[in-house]
Amino acid sequence: MRKKELKLVVTFHTTADAMAMEKACRGKEVPGRLIPVPRSISAGCGLAWCAPLTERDALLEVMEEQGISQEGLHECMV
Amino acid sequence: MNLTDSKKKLALAGVVCGLVAACLAYFGNPANMAFCIACFIRDTAGALGLHSTETVQYARPEIIGLVLGSFLISVATKEYRSMAGSSPMTRFVLGMILAIGSLVFLGCPLRMIIRMSAGDLNAWVALIGFILGVGTGVFALKKGFSLGRAHTANRMSGAMLPVLMLGILVLALATTLLKSSQSGPGSMHAPIILSLIGGLIFGAFAQKSRMCFAGSIRDVILMKNFDLLTIIGSFFVVMLIYNIATGNFVPAFDTPGIIAHSDHLWSILGMYAVGFAAVLAGGCPLRQLILAGQGSSDSAVTVLGMFIGAALSHNFGLAGSGTALNAETQEVVAGGVPMNGRIAVVICIIVCFVIAFANKRSEGK
Repeated sequence: MRKKELKLVVTFHTTADAMAMEKACRGKEVPGRLIPVPRSISAGCGLAWCAPLTERDALLEVMEEQGISQEGLHECMV
Repeated sequence: MNLTDSKKKLALAGVVCGLVAACLAYFGNPANMAFCIACFIRDTAGALGLHSTETVQYARPEIIGLVLGSFLISVATKEYRSMAGSSPMTRFVLGMILAIGSLVFLGCPLRMIIRMSAGDLNAWVALIGFILGVGTGVFALKKGFSLGRAHTANRMSGAMLPVLMLGILVLALATTLLKSSQSGPGSMHAPIILSLIGGLIFGAFAQKSRMCFAGSIRDVILMKNFDLLTIIGSFFVVMLIYNIATGNFVPAFDTPGIIAHSDHLWSILGMYAVGFAAVLAGGCPLRQLILAGQGSSDSAVTVLGMFIGAALSHNFGLAGSGTALNAETQEVVAGGVPMNGRIAVVICIIVCFVIAFANKRSEGK
């Protein structure tokens, strides 16, 4: 079982935004992966982007470039 | 209590929901229909006079309890969010498809699992269609499908469906306005108070665990995440044990009396439409009730679509019929899906494809 670590978790207004984020990050080789939105963040069942804490600036840059609006940027154990 | 921080706790939620379903089946709900969202919405639609099939009319307290359970727990734990505005009419149509597809197969995804746990091989066949439907929905998500974002709405907006459900409960308890079947599945039910408590408990646990039949398969396909599937797995195991213990486990296709048919192609296509529509709508029929309870007006509109879809299924002769035993001749009369139902399923699938590929995420929004 994967050990939980403190990670950056970006949540979005729509699932499509999360999918767009995955595509953009893959294109820019920014590390991370799609995860279900952690229950501690939301009772909804959407998708979120999970990345190492060190990637905050890279993530913000990708979202700015691609016009992807975030719902929230959280640090939590994933 | 956080039910989702470990797979064991998620499994516990499935066990609790399984025990609720088993209790309701034991105390009078129809065989293998212990807890079916589509069937119970259909029965409630009948009680309200939205259709006139006399054997399936009963205001199911389980449906009321699910919405109220989700509403109460989300208010109590400060998770209630009144949201609205994500393509409501498209969601209404998706709700209709969820109901029509389910009633062709004779069960929502929740009942499909219950039927599977009783050895009904028709349900195992339908599972193929459901997985393919969810898979198609995931493909649409990858291609940029979106119904747009929901926005914060007036606080009262999200409480409207729970209030309406409460109103149905009052009508059922205090008046004779609602119709109630004297025979058939609608006449078979657990005591009202038990059904209501069962619905409340199920609703609360489903809200906390985010239980969703379509979501569980979506997460496996999309992210290889098995969290939600853990809940469904433990729910299945509880129902399997219950069915074996009570002698209801019969691995077969044509079993009279369990409200199922062996029209395999249409079971597959019916559940294909349900799986597809559920991913597009963001949740299975159960999840729509739970989301509506925690404040989503978009899901509330989807629930209304399910009511209308269920009513139309019976008004237009779309619903499947179960294999039955002729009491006089003792012959098994095969159930099946009528021509109207087959045409409806094909239309539903086409509509799903149109919705899936005509609603794209707007770049930069």
